[in-house]
Amino acid sequence: MADATLLSIVLYLPLAGIAMLVAVARGNDELVRRISLAVMTLQFVLTAVLYAHFDGAVAGLQFETRTPWIADWGVYYHIGLDGMSILLVLLTAFLGPLVVAGAFSAITRDVKLFYAMVFLIQFAMLGTFVAQDLFLFYLFWETMLIPMFLIIGIWGGERRIYATIKFFLYTAFGSILMLAAVIYLVYSLQQSSGITSFAFTDLYKAQLPLSTQVVLLAAFGLSFAIKVPMVPLHTWLPDAHVEAPTAGSVILAGVLLKMGTYGFMKLGFPLFPDATRMLVPAIMALSVISIIYGACLALVQNDIKKIIAYSSISHLGYVMLGLASLDLVGIQGAVIQMVSHGLTAAGLFLMVGMIYERCHTRDLAAYGGLAKLLPVYSVYFMVLTLASVGLPTTSGFTGEFLVLLGAFRASWQMHLQGATLPLVLSSLAVLGVVLGALYMLRFAQGFMFGAAKAPHQPLQDLGFRERAILAIIVAAVFWLGLFPEGPMQKTEQAAKQYRELVMTERLPGGAR
Amino acid sequence: MSWQAIFAAMLPEHILLAGLVGLIVLEIVADHPRGSLGVSIVTVCLAAVAALALNLGGVHADPFPGQYSVLPGMSLAKALVLAFALPVLLFAREERTNLRFYPLLLSSLYGFCLIVSAESFLTLFLGLELMSLPVYVLVLLGIRRPDSAEAALKYLVLGGTATALFLMGVALLYGGAASLSIAAFATALHSPDVMARAAVVLIVTAFFIKAAIVPFHAWAPDAYEGASIPVTAFMATIIKAGVLLAVVRLVGTEPLARPMIDLLAILPLVSIVWGNLAAMRQTSFRRMIAYSSIAHAGYLFYAFLGDGATRFQGVVFYLVAYGLANLLAFAALPRGGEDIAADRLDNFKGLFRRRPYAALMIGIAMLSLAGIPPFPGFIAKFLIFRNVMAAGYTTYAVLGLVGSYLGIYFYLRVIQFMFMSADEPEKAPGTVRIALAASVLCLVGIAIFALLPGFVLARL
Repeated sequence: MADATLLSIVLYLPLAGIAMLVAVARGNDELVRRISLAVMTLQFVLTAVLYAHFDGAVAGLQFETRTPWIADWGVYYHIGLDGMSILLVLLTAFLGPLVVAGAFSAITRDVKLFYAMVFLIQFAMLGTFVAQDLFLFYLFWETMLIPMFLIIGIWGGERRIYATIKFFLYTAFGSILMLAAVIYLVYSLQQSSGITSFAFTDLYKAQLPLSTQVVLLAAFGLSFAIKVPMVPLHTWLPDAHVEAPTAGSVILAGVLLKMGTYGFMKLGFPLFPDATRMLVPAIMALSVISIIYGACLALVQNDIKKIIAYSSISHLGYVMLGLASLDLVGIQGAVIQMVSHGLTAAGLFLMVGMIYERCHTRDLAAYGGLAKLLPVYSVYFMVLTLASVGLPTTSGFTGEFLVLLGAFRASWQMHLQGATLPLVLSSLAVLGVVLGALYMLRFAQGFMFGAAKAPHQPLQDLGFRERAILAIIVAAVFWLGLFPEGPMQKTEQAAKQYRELVMTERLPGGAR
Repeated sequence: MSWQAIFAAMLPEHILLAGLVGLIVLEIVADHPRGSLGVSIVTVCLAAVAALALNLGGVHADPFPGQYSVLPGMSLAKALVLAFALPVLLFAREERTNLRFYPLLLSSLYGFCLIVSAESFLTLFLGLELMSLPVYVLVLLGIRRPDSAEAALKYLVLGGTATALFLMGVALLYGGAASLSIAAFATALHSPDVMARAAVVLIVTAFFIKAAIVPFHAWAPDAYEGASIPVTAFMATIIKAGVLLAVVRLVGTEPLARPMIDLLAILPLVSIVWGNLAAMRQTSFRRMIAYSSIAHAGYLFYAFLGDGATRFQGVVFYLVAYGLANLLAFAALPRGGEDIAADRLDNFKGLFRRRPYAALMIGIAMLSLAGIPPFPGFIAKFLIFRNVMAAGYTTYAVLGLVGSYLGIYFYLRVIQFMFMSADEPEKAPGTVRIALAASVLCLVGIAIFALLPGFVLARL
């Protein structure tokens, strides 16, 4: 099928980009930047074509490629897209050119290596979203660490080494336990059904006793929860964000954090449905703690990057809440919220990067009245802030609203069955919206209003490149806020499938 | 068997022997034998090709019944490990090594081939000694280093101890089974007899010493640091391969039960943990690699926890993946001057700015050793831990994996030094060269093992 080839082209285009960069003569940084932007833009255009061709009415995978890879182990090279991954692939491809363009002026050292690493992480992220074989998924999942490690460690701020090693060791710890769980899971499947396979579809059929499911869910969940990150496994995130160069923060917030929630959605919950259903209240509780705790921490930060970093923890808590609600609306809301957070957080980090390039400080107290100093900047900043808070007509509203709606519907049902905790948790989650408005508006107020002050004046307002980047993001934010039915329709079948998988009992016959 | 068949079955050994004799003659007749490197390279290539041909031809042969046998799988292992000697020889060129290096290397390889084909304890012993003795001398050849003599002596004494333990074990086995066939070892693994058990413990301990398993590892860091780069690389890859393949010969596909499993698992697990922890504190690259090889010896012994049929595959795949990464690191290592200071990790600071390709290659090697996907080191670890878990030893598998997590940090630290430090070293090593041909060779091997592991596994 032609579209399957197109998906392969999209996936491998970043590697072609690296090959092109290697061929560029040393020192010709301008050419490196142009090639990178061209390749990323091409990738986005091709992904948009894929998105247009994706048929939301069809359940299951589309654009599949499947060939044996390691025959002895039953490992297949199997890639394809379902309704959730198409949106995340689109988000990744959308942010690619913006990341590249955003780093034009910020990265002046080892430019070639930098763009090569951006391509490499792009490749690994896309690979993680399209992989349909657990072995392949794990390969891509781990490969992501290497370029991110270098991006933070080479081009980061003062404490970059500490931050990047913390990032690597945190995530690698989760991965090691996940690896043990992967091997155990595949081995159990082999024992019970005689099939040696890493294919998601086969693993979804594995029947495991509840106790095993809980242990394996904990191992997978630890890895995913570190990536999300969920409180209390979040402490690497503020360090990584603060020390990372803007491009690194954008990739982290924009896509990398979604790996965790995507992992829960694609693997963690559907693989171990009985354990998941049993633990729904606990997962909801952790999500709500993430929402509130993240928001509270964001409220007291003075470093502008940290505010957005903690707000990410809070926003991804909503995603987890939506996924744990097991309500169709909540699940779809979670997917929309993932994309929405990808857009707004990426936009805000880019804006922080822009002001940092001008003023060289991230201290909130050093700023004030930017609305007067940088009027264009302030308009974009306000729009993205409001989108992040969840103002209706922006993408943030769609996501949060659907998640909360789903969570209430699900917890009301549970309440009728006698469990009140979920209802309490859902109500508390609403508090997160209020806190969100509070910390973002505190940020915006201190930043843009009041007496005009900023280091390194006079400041130059946004140039053409910066305006173009932000205009594109803002357009996407409104598109998702005003016309959510398009993406919702594409995700519907996948959300149904996820729900069905998690709702089906899969304990081995008779055993407990 | 016809004499032609006997000759053909031992072709790799004959080629090595011919090369060895050729080298000695060359040294006698020529004043400045320049051809030693060429002769060695040709010999090693031909021997590896001959072994590969035996594998592809599916040759099963018993040239000396009960002493020496040729099996297709073992021939492939010979071919792969002999191929490792090629990059080692290529570094030797960069090092302007003492000419004694070449004949010693070939005779050690000859010993390696004997081990892999051994059917009796006599052949095995001959092989082990023939492989190890030249290496004691090779360590000493790094004479420009002050520590070489001490390192060589430590290695010799511990190697001698291992030999003694091995012989005592064999004697006990012979006392029980009245046979020198290595099959006696497999039988002894199940025997409730105290003498047989003692024999097993003695022999396993001997191999633990040779493979540098904690607590018998103390010789390794000194020997690795004291020797010259090609010798260190040779010890880390080919000698380790010889020792592990000897264990494969002994344990074979014999099913193992509890006390033996623990014997084969506990110390290797300690090695994984201790090797990785101790590597974190090292300031010398080669000492770090030595501790890393102590940890890797642990993973390699883990392969024996797997079911019988999987052991050989696990050990060979792991050896090759590990060997390629080590050789790549040594190939790309900037060298110049023989002093140990050139080997300090501090000298890696800012290497990427000075030598981007060397830094990238060392980086790849470190990530592969750390077992980070998509490099072959990951696939090899996956293979081993998968086999351990499939055999039902989940606890050992999880503990081993957690132990391997401890190893990530010090590999990352090398990458951190190379890419993230702007500091130039205080004294940059004089002329900086890397063994380019050798590194390209290793990179190709790594690419094959990373992209087509299925192809390789199907042939093991």
